[in-house]
Amino acid sequence: MAAAEPVIAVSDLTRRFGARAALSSVSLVIPRGGVYGLVGANGAGKTTLIRHILGLLRAETGSVRVLGRDPVADPAGVLSRIGYLSEENDLPGWMRVGELMRYSRAFYPGWDDAYAGELRTMFGLDPAAKIKTLSKGQKARAGLVVALAYRPELLVLDEPSSGLDPIVRRDILGAVLRTIADEGRTVLFSSHLLEEVERVADHVTMIRQGQIVVSAPLKEIKNAHGGASLDEIFVERIGGI
Amino acid sequence: MRTPAAAIAWELRQRHRWGLIALLATIFILGAIKIAVLATQAHPELHDATFALLVPVPLAATSLYLLAVFTFGIAGDLAARESMYPPRMLTLPVSTAALAGWPMLYGCLSMTLLWFAMRIVCIFPPGVEIPKYWPALFAASLLAWTQALTWMPYPFRGMRIVISIGLLVSIDVVALTALGTRARESTMLLLLAPLLPLAYAAALSAVRRARRGDVPDWGVAKRLAPASTRSAPPRDFRSAARAQLWFEWRQFGRSLPLLVAIVLPVGLSLLFLFREADVIVVEIVVASLLLPSFMAIFVAATAGKSSSNASESYGITPFLATRPVEDRALVVAKWQAALISTLAAWVIVAVAVPVALLWSDAAEPILHIARNVDGALGRPRAIVLGLLILAGLVASTWKQLVQGLYITMSGRDWAVKGIAFATLVLVTLGFLALGWILDSRYRIAVALNAIPWLMAAFVALKLVLAMRVMQRGAARGLFTRRQLISGAIAWDVCVLALYGVLTLILPAILFRRHFLLLVAMLVVPCVRLAAAPLAVAGNRHR
Repeated sequence: MAAAEPVIAVSDLTRRFGARAALSSVSLVIPRGGVYGLVGANGAGKTTLIRHILGLLRAETGSVRVLGRDPVADPAGVLSRIGYLSEENDLPGWMRVGELMRYSRAFYPGWDDAYAGELRTMFGLDPAAKIKTLSKGQKARAGLVVALAYRPELLVLDEPSSGLDPIVRRDILGAVLRTIADEGRTVLFSSHLLEEVERVADHVTMIRQGQIVVSAPLKEIKNAHGGASLDEIFVERIGGI
Repeated sequence: MRTPAAAIAWELRQRHRWGLIALLATIFILGAIKIAVLATQAHPELHDATFALLVPVPLAATSLYLLAVFTFGIAGDLAARESMYPPRMLTLPVSTAALAGWPMLYGCLSMTLLWFAMRIVCIFPPGVEIPKYWPALFAASLLAWTQALTWMPYPFRGMRIVISIGLLVSIDVVALTALGTRARESTMLLLLAPLLPLAYAAALSAVRRARRGDVPDWGVAKRLAPASTRSAPPRDFRSAARAQLWFEWRQFGRSLPLLVAIVLPVGLSLLFLFREADVIVVEIVVASLLLPSFMAIFVAATAGKSSSNASESYGITPFLATRPVEDRALVVAKWQAALISTLAAWVIVAVAVPVALLWSDAAEPILHIARNVDGALGRPRAIVLGLLILAGLVASTWKQLVQGLYITMSGRDWAVKGIAFATLVLVTLGFLALGWILDSRYRIAVALNAIPWLMAAFVALKLVLAMRVMQRGAARGLFTRRQLISGAIAWDVCVLALYGVLTLILPAILFRRHFLLLVAMLVVPCVRLAAAPLAVAGNRHR
C-alpha cells in the first residue's frame, strides 16, 4: 500500500435496515498512523460503520476500501491485516485460552509468539482456562490478546470499554494503543466513554443518527469549542436526540 | 399483560404464530379431506400409504412440532450439557414453579387439544376402536417428560439425546402395547396419571438447577485422558485451513461418533437377548448400519451453526466472520470435518457390529444371507454389492451432515424453518399422490411409464440450478474457472463410476441403462453443495 493511501476510505456509504437509515451518505477517510475515536449515542451507527469496514456488511450504496481493498470482495486479504475486538465477546466458549491463541496463530503469518506471551502474562490469563469460565472482562482481555499479537496494520475495537475493567482500560489499553500509533499503525475504536476517548484519541469522529457531524483532530475540535471537554462538546453536538 | 402466565403465553404465541397457524391449517385440511371422503364412502377403506398420510404422519409431525415449541428446543443445541431452558427467562422475577409450570401446563393443554382434534378429523380404518381419553393423557405426559429432560443439565455432551431417544422409544412401546392388547381406558388412565406430577417435579428440579447455573461435571474425558496430554502445550497448525478444520471438528464433528458410540452398544446388546430369533438379529444389524445416517440428521442441525452458543439463530458470529479466510474455506472446513466425523462413526460401526455378532454367537443369520447373495450373484458381484452398500451408507451419512449447510449457513432463520415446512408439505403431497396412484392399476402403469421422464425432468432442473449457482458463485468471486472445471469433472467421474457399478450389479433386463444413468445423476450431490459457499458469502457480508 502506498504511504499516502488512506487506511480506511468510506465514500457516500448508505445503509438501511428496513425503513430506518442506519448510515446516510457517510464519507470518512482515515490516514495511516494514529488513534481514531468514533463516538456517538447508542444506535447512532458506530457498529454498523465498523461492520462495513470489516466487510461484515455489504455497502448498499457508496464504497468502502480498507488498506486499499474491498473487504467484501477480498475478506482474507483485508482481515489478515486487521485486528478486531468485538463488542459481543463471542469467542468460542469451549476453547481454552491456549487453544484460542494456537488457533488464531494459524491465520496470521505475522503472529509474534513472544509478544503474544507477553500480552497474555500482562493480562493475567491462564492458558488452561476455558473461555466460557472467564469473566466478561477476562474474555475481552483474551480477545484483545489475539487481536494484538500479530501486530496488525489496523486495529478496530468496538466498544472495548464495555468489557474491560478501569485498570486495564487506563493503564494497559491506553499504553498499548499509544504504542501501536507510535509504530505508525492505526487504531479505530468506538466508545461512549468520552473521557477515555479524550485521553487516548488523536482524532475524533462524532456520528449522529447515521451521519457524521464532526470529524477532525481532537485538538482542533477542542480549540473550536474554546477548550471545552469532549463531554461538553458531545452534549452540544450530539445531545438532545 | 398483568401476569407472568399471560406473558409466557403471549411470547410462545408470538414466536411460533406461523407454525401454530400451519398446525391449525393442517387440522382443517384433514377435516376437509374427511368430509370429502365420507361424502362418497360411509366406511372408507384406506390404502396403507393413504392411511399413513392421513393419520400417523400428521399426528407425529404436529406432536413433534408442539414438543419442540414447548420445550424451547427448536433453536437450541440438543447435545449440549447445559439446560436448554432459555437463560433470559431464568432471570425473570417469577418463581421457579411458574417458570416450569406454565409452559408445561400450556404444552399439556395443547397436546390434549391436538389429540381430540386429530381424533375428530382423522380417518381411522373401519372396525378399529380408537381410545378416547388415555391418548390425550399419554400425549401430555410425553410432552411433560420431554420438557423435563430438555431442561435438565447433563454431566456430558450428547447424554440428552440418548436419554430422550430412550424415553421416546419406551413411551412408544407402552402405546403400541396398549393398542395391541386393547387396554381399557380406566387402566391406562390409572397407569399414566402419575407420570404428569412426576414430570412436573423433574422439570421443577431441572429449572431450579438451570437457574443456579448448576451443570454436573463427571469429568469423564478428563479422567480418561492421560495426565501428560492434559498439560501438554498445544501443537501448531500447519495452515489456516488445518486450524479451521480443527475448529469445526471440535465444534460439531465429534458429536456423530460420540452419539454412535453411545447408542450402538445399547442396540447391539439386544443381540444377546434375541440371538435365537433370526429375523430380529437381521433387523438389529440393519438398524445398526442405518444408525450413523439417522444420527447424522440430528447432528446436521448443529453443523451449520457458527457457534454452539448461538442458540437463537444461525447467523455467523463476528469471531468466525472475521477469520482472514475466503468464504468457501469456511464451508470446505465443514465438509472435511463432516467427512472425518462420518469415517470415525463408521469405524465404530465396522468394529462393533462384527464383534457383537461373534461375541453373542448371533452371526449365523447374517452369514446365511451372505451365502445366499454369493450363490445368486457370484462372488465378485456379491463383494461389489456389499462394498457398494457400505459406500452408499457412508456417503449417505456424509450427505446428511452437509446437504443442509446451504440453508443453515445462510443465517436466515425463516429459510431454515421454511425449508423444513416445505419438505413436510412435499412429503405429504408425495404420500397423497402415492396413495392415489396405488389405488388403480391403470394409474400404476401410467406412473411407471412416467418415472424415467420425471427423473429426466429432475436431472434437467438439477443441471440448470447447478449452472445458475456456479454462475452466481463465479460472479461473486467464490469459484475460479479452474475450480468450476475441476468440480464439474469430479461430479462427472462420480456419476460415471456409480453408473458403471450399477450396470455391473443390476440386471439389464430389469433396469434400462438410461434409467441407471438418471439415478446416478440424481444421487450424486451437486447443487446443494455448490450453494453452500454462496450461502456463507450472503451471511458473512450481509
